[in-house]
Amino acid sequence: MLPASARCANFMEPARLLKYGAAAMEGLQEIGVVARHEAGRTFRSARVIVLLALYVMFSALILLVIGSISQAIGEQLKTSLEGADPQKAAEAANQLRTGFLSWFLDSDSAVLDALQQVPLVVIIVFKATLFWLPPYVVLMAFDTISGEVGPRSIRFLTVRARRSSILLGKFLGHALVLAALVFVVDVAIFVYAKVTHPDFGWGLMLVTLLKFWLASVVYALAYLALSVLCSALFRQWALSLIVNFISLFVLWLVNFIAGFGTHRELLPNGLPGPEQITSWVAYLRYFTPSYYATGLLNPAIQTFALSGAAYAGFTLLFAGAAYGILRARDL
Amino acid sequence: MSDAAIEVTHLVKRFGPLTAVNDVTFTVNRGECFGLIGPNGAGKTTTFSIMCGFLYPNDGQVRILGADPTSPGALKQKVGVLPQDAVLPPYAKVGELLTYWAHLSGLADPQAKAKDVLERVQLPEVWDKRAGALSHGMAKRVSMAQALMGDPPVVLLDEPTAGLDPKIAAHVRQLIHEMKGRQTIVVSSHNLQELEQLCDTAAILDRGRVMQAGTMAELTARSAEFRIQIAKGNVPVEELKLLPGITSSSYDPATGALTVLFNGRDHASEEVITATLKYLIDRDVKVLTVSRGRSLEERVLQITR
Repeated sequence: MLPASARCANFMEPARLLKYGAAAMEGLQEIGVVARHEAGRTFRSARVIVLLALYVMFSALILLVIGSISQAIGEQLKTSLEGADPQKAAEAANQLRTGFLSWFLDSDSAVLDALQQVPLVVIIVFKATLFWLPPYVVLMAFDTISGEVGPRSIRFLTVRARRSSILLGKFLGHALVLAALVFVVDVAIFVYAKVTHPDFGWGLMLVTLLKFWLASVVYALAYLALSVLCSALFRQWALSLIVNFISLFVLWLVNFIAGFGTHRELLPNGLPGPEQITSWVAYLRYFTPSYYATGLLNPAIQTFALSGAAYAGFTLLFAGAAYGILRARDL
Repeated sequence: MSDAAIEVTHLVKRFGPLTAVNDVTFTVNRGECFGLIGPNGAGKTTTFSIMCGFLYPNDGQVRILGADPTSPGALKQKVGVLPQDAVLPPYAKVGELLTYWAHLSGLADPQAKAKDVLERVQLPEVWDKRAGALSHGMAKRVSMAQALMGDPPVVLLDEPTAGLDPKIAAHVRQLIHEMKGRQTIVVSSHNLQELEQLCDTAAILDRGRVMQAGTMAELTARSAEFRIQIAKGNVPVEELKLLPGITSSSYDPATGALTVLFNGRDHASEEVITATLKYLIDRDVKVLTVSRGRSLEERVLQITR
């Protein structure tokens, strides 16, 4: 027979499990309540409406500019190759497109092949929105925590909910808004592409839309977590904003400098070959989220998964650090 | 189950080189109204903030209904808090905010709870107003409302009447009075007259330390001292000391205040006061007023000098 203390421990175990289970359920419920409130507030806030308008305008501008440029280039190409062999003309157009894309995306032939059927305008606008997305996320979420800690309104929350629930709820609330916003913009891009490129098939369009949308969301979440981290560091939202922009710039700069440590040989077919590392500086880019962006478009499942995992890792790292800071700090 | 609702033990909080709270210990029993008293910088708000889980102590511990406020989710549905200088989120409508908080507290029928509590603080008309558009007094009452929502067993109120007009302040005092006995209340305030009226027990803090803690009667020496305001006549100060139970007496002719100390443990105060008054009246001394103990204000001034 077990000693009394062990019997008691065995008896206690289910009760303790139930207690932890109830606490976890309560935590999830809190996250849901905070996320819903935060998403509703963000959707209605003037700042986000202005940012949304800017984001849409910016995307539309690029869409129109790139659309007209690619149309003009296409027509010019058509004129200059008039009378030539149609197969050769198509090859020349394709080579021009591939050459531009390899420079623009800095990618290997696998990505370029995968994007072969997607209208150029979609790829360019998508890439441009990825560039604009991090500062947009900063402007949306720089005061997620500092905006509550500074005026101490967070005190109304912490007596009712765990600090982890507040942080995660706010993160999720912003993530919902971002996902919706990016979806709207992506749909607009693809509708434009479909109208201007009738040969862009519905099936490919829907699959690419889903892929681009998921890639943008995964990408944006890492930057959202970075903004939440910066906002957890300070009481003053102005400081959060400045440090957030500085961190973006530093990450971009590191990625830029790291680019000097790599080289791609051109293959006989004119496409870029595999990347070669020529200096240790190149390894620095592994620490920047933007390095993994193109990998999200890669058809190779391994590369895609690795990039997705990298973004998940950055998100967890930044959000985890934000929680550590919020948990330890006086409010 | 212990009678103590709140136990604060050897609490220490430092901000850099400054020790804001230094070895503070006190206990608040269930159903009691407890006052945290002291001048500016005494450590009231810091102690209060540690009790609410806003600040982490450097040493010592706090238990509220057995829970450690620094543990995640420990105070949920147990404590209602009116923080002193927390600003209501200006973007939201009052009704929406209160409903959100009620929801977050896990209360059933959050909207109804929010409406009820707004009625309790006599502000139903601000339901659709943005918090940023409220006057200071209204915002304070909305903050008070969120602290009372769901009738938590422990309510912590930091300066609940500061900045309120007398009529509203009286209403807030009435609310606190109604909670007494049903809920454990801690009130931190500068308004000593208010605390004297409301609180059963209190701790007087100065420079981060508890200078004295006890029942209001003990703090104001109500059971061992009384004062008589003399209008006219010769006060027989030395003879009074011979009356049963009286241990000392002093008279200030400039103010006309006769202060009498007595042994409150062995003699009922009403007996001693009646005997003293009879003695004075028999000697043709004209009396204006009689008051038991000192005012809390005098006591605090004496302790925190």
